[in-house]
Amino acid sequence: MDRWEQIDREIDRAEGILLVLLLSLMIGTAFLQIVLRNLFATGLAWGDPLVRNLVVWVGFIGAALATREGKHITIDLLLRGMPQRTRGVIERLTHLFSSVICGLLTFAAIKFIRNEALMGSRTFWEIPTWVPGLILPATFALMTFRFGLRAFKPLSLQTHRTSEQSKAL
Amino acid sequence: MIFFAILVLVFLMFSGAPLFTIFSGLTLLLLFTGQIDSSAMIIEMYRLATTPILVAILLFTFAGYLLSESKAPRRLIGLTDAVLGWLPGGLSIIALLTCAGFTALTGATGLTIIAMGGILLPALLRGRYPEAFSLGLVTNSGTLGLLFPPSLPIIVYAVVSKLSINQLFLAGLLPGLLMVLLLSLFSVQRAVAAQVPRTRFHRNRVSRAVRDALWELPLPLVVLGGVYSGFFAVSEAAAITAVYVLIVEVVIYRDIPWTQLPQIMRKSMILVGGILIILGSALGFTNYLIDAEVPMKMFDLIKAHIGSPFLFLLLLNVFLLIVGCLMDIFSALIVVVPLITPVAQAYGIDPVHLGIIFLTNLQIGASTPPVGMNLFISSLRFEQPMVKIVRVSIPFILLLLVILAIVTYVPWLSLALIR
Repeated sequence: MDRWEQIDREIDRAEGILLVLLLSLMIGTAFLQIVLRNLFATGLAWGDPLVRNLVVWVGFIGAALATREGKHITIDLLLRGMPQRTRGVIERLTHLFSSVICGLLTFAAIKFIRNEALMGSRTFWEIPTWVPGLILPATFALMTFRFGLRAFKPLSLQTHRTSEQSKAL
Repeated sequence: MIFFAILVLVFLMFSGAPLFTIFSGLTLLLLFTGQIDSSAMIIEMYRLATTPILVAILLFTFAGYLLSESKAPRRLIGLTDAVLGWLPGGLSIIALLTCAGFTALTGATGLTIIAMGGILLPALLRGRYPEAFSLGLVTNSGTLGLLFPPSLPIIVYAVVSKLSINQLFLAGLLPGLLMVLLLSLFSVQRAVAAQVPRTRFHRNRVSRAVRDALWELPLPLVVLGGVYSGFFAVSEAAAITAVYVLIVEVVIYRDIPWTQLPQIMRKSMILVGGILIILGSALGFTNYLIDAEVPMKMFDLIKAHIGSPFLFLLLLNVFLLIVGCLMDIFSALIVVVPLITPVAQAYGIDPVHLGIIFLTNLQIGASTPPVGMNLFISSLRFEQPMVKIVRVSIPFILLLLVILAIVTYVPWLSLALIR
């Protein structure tokens, strides 16, 4: 087992736990808001922004997990019916490309965070808006790492699963 | 230079690079040439991710995955069987109705073929329905519910085209019902022709099935009632649905043990994450296209050759069927909708009606030979050769095409409920 692969698996475990906690908190808060609004004609001022920020966190963690499991939405028309070896080469190429793009997005997200911090706007509980925004550079960096890992994976570890199968499962 | 870069991106897109990286690459390229800071793209993405619609997408997806992992499909089939099983062709109507309901809730057509088909196909064969008919039925009823709320593709269409979700939900109802109705009539005719034995109606069976599914029966009311009455916002209806399904399946029926919840959360959020990141990255690109008046230029080009809206709609249908056959529904919506919507509007087509045409086309395209995704899934799931799946699907596809023509050329069907 590759050392990098090991690290990725540990991150994956932590992500999984964080995802469950945040999603539970989100469902709970969203429901509590509805109960308060409709039965007691009141509501938590921080409820809606909290829920919306949790969506961002859960969604982007989901996107990072999709990268690990190869479940991003793709159109792989050209790959269908290609010989296995050519496929392998092209897959590495697309992973390398994706890694570079995610790297650029990480950079853009860091700039975004810096600008937000400079503007000093605040969201619920007086938290500066850049704090919940941190999930963007974090998950983009993780996706850069994960696509890179797949691009440079040793041949023996490459799993061959056709797109049809992986989509059906 | 730019042209070359775009060419490379298109090649990568069709070679299976994740769609969001293609969109991001394009947007970054455009921002770079326009000398705009790349963080502009992240601002757009963050803004989209914090809109209330995303709350709805996330919660409905979670509820759908919970339902698909529970025994709800089995109870749903049991109930419709008890109520409608005595009709000629009853079981095939059951297949159509339950698949439509299931796809509407989960929004994933492949999931319906896998989850429902696995139960329905053996039941149909046991009920002595012809094999070819049964196979065609389970393959093609997978997409049937896309027009019914709270189907995920409708919500995504609303986000991409900036239409009201509630209006689209209403607009989809009549075309969706027409589809179910005509397919049911066709199935009854087939069942009668094949002399499928009928079962007797038992009052006891009905009351037992109702008791079994008692807690799931109010679900459509929770989803639809809230949305249509305008009493709840869509995101609120989604939250109520998620909590309700969670309590019913985990606490009351105990179909899903607590220990399995993290896995279901993970699976559903992977889908949500995939959609969120594509929507976020496509937004910048769409805005650029509109700024650069690309759709208007396209319209001028098309207008020079096609005068009548009638012909335009025909070509649009052919084009969308091909798109639906080649791409999965979410990528198709995100890539094509922003380009076509302004052109169609210039031809005087109502945007809501256009949405229903889009969704109907993509739905049919997904089971259109030679490469519709549903055909592959069905072939894998039921362990049948592709050629056979295609052959048995043809009568269903022909009928669906007739319905498509009706939906396209009778705008009233889509617009009656929203006026």
